[in-house]
Amino acid sequence: MSALVAHPRVQLVLRLLLGALFVYASLDKIASPAAFAKVIYQWQVVGPVPSNLVAVTLPWIELAAGLLLLAGAWKREAALVVALLLVVFIAAAALVMARGIDVQNCGCVSVTANTAPSAWPPAWTKGVGWFLVARNLLLLGVAMALVVVTPVRRPAPLALPVPTE
Amino acid sequence: MAVDWKRFILILVAGASLGLAWNAGSGRGMALGQSVLVQAGDELVATRAGKVLLDQGALFLDARPRDFWRMSRIPGALPLPEEDFERAFQEAEPRLRRASAVVVYCSGYGCEASHLVARKLREKGFAAAILDEGLPAWQDAGLPLDEEPRS
Repeated sequence: MSALVAHPRVQLVLRLLLGALFVYASLDKIASPAAFAKVIYQWQVVGPVPSNLVAVTLPWIELAAGLLLLAGAWKREAALVVALLLVVFIAAAALVMARGIDVQNCGCVSVTANTAPSAWPPAWTKGVGWFLVARNLLLLGVAMALVVVTPVRRPAPLALPVPTE
Repeated sequence: MAVDWKRFILILVAGASLGLAWNAGSGRGMALGQSVLVQAGDELVATRAGKVLLDQGALFLDARPRDFWRMSRIPGALPLPEEDFERAFQEAEPRLRRASAVVVYCSGYGCEASHLVARKLREKGFAAAILDEGLPAWQDAGLPLDEEPRS
């Protein structure tokens, strides 16, 4: 398993996927900070003014870390920032679930209100619940793989010694 | 190769600073100092001041879905759910016309319904204050609720 994760191509794919996801997730929030602030406030984890501060700063941290991952610069540090964010998201989701608060749109990627209930994607993929926690744990695993594992190049096959006569 | 903590901190600080700078300078920013639910023209009333208004005979309106009002409500409150505004407004209008003061509340925190209902009332010519932090703050302050089920 660790050998697989350490493979340079696997590392590249994980890095690009995680980077692209975080860049994508930041864009809608940057475009509509007030809508994102409302969603954060609905989580009831922080009050109205801290919600605003998180809404204004968090998407830019996601964007910065995501772009660094895509570019392959400061890979470990950018992945560690992503891991830190995911730990915060998981802890906040656990708090929301423990208190029995119903958050129908987690604001993870899109913050615009979904007024019309649509069949796909199903509601349980959008709200705060076990699906969100499982998804973030998976992403946390990917981020930590990028932090911890050093890519190992398989040594090139040795040139056969030319038999001398 | 270990993690360079200076870079780690720099990503966090640079990201947050960019966000604050964009909010201040892009022209698309938002006001940070107050709840995002509050707009110009909204009048907020704190829990204690709300209790004083209630004792003075103010009309309280419950902006939550009607089923919540049926279970419990601030004493004397009428249902005025945001999603059923027009119908409920017609029921409440005679009381609204007689009311000395009107306070709208919902379930606090990120609940926007009280703000939306107060704005709709304003459009219809009725001034209505919004109970700040709504019902949870009311309960936390130990203020009374009417918990007799209604149909």
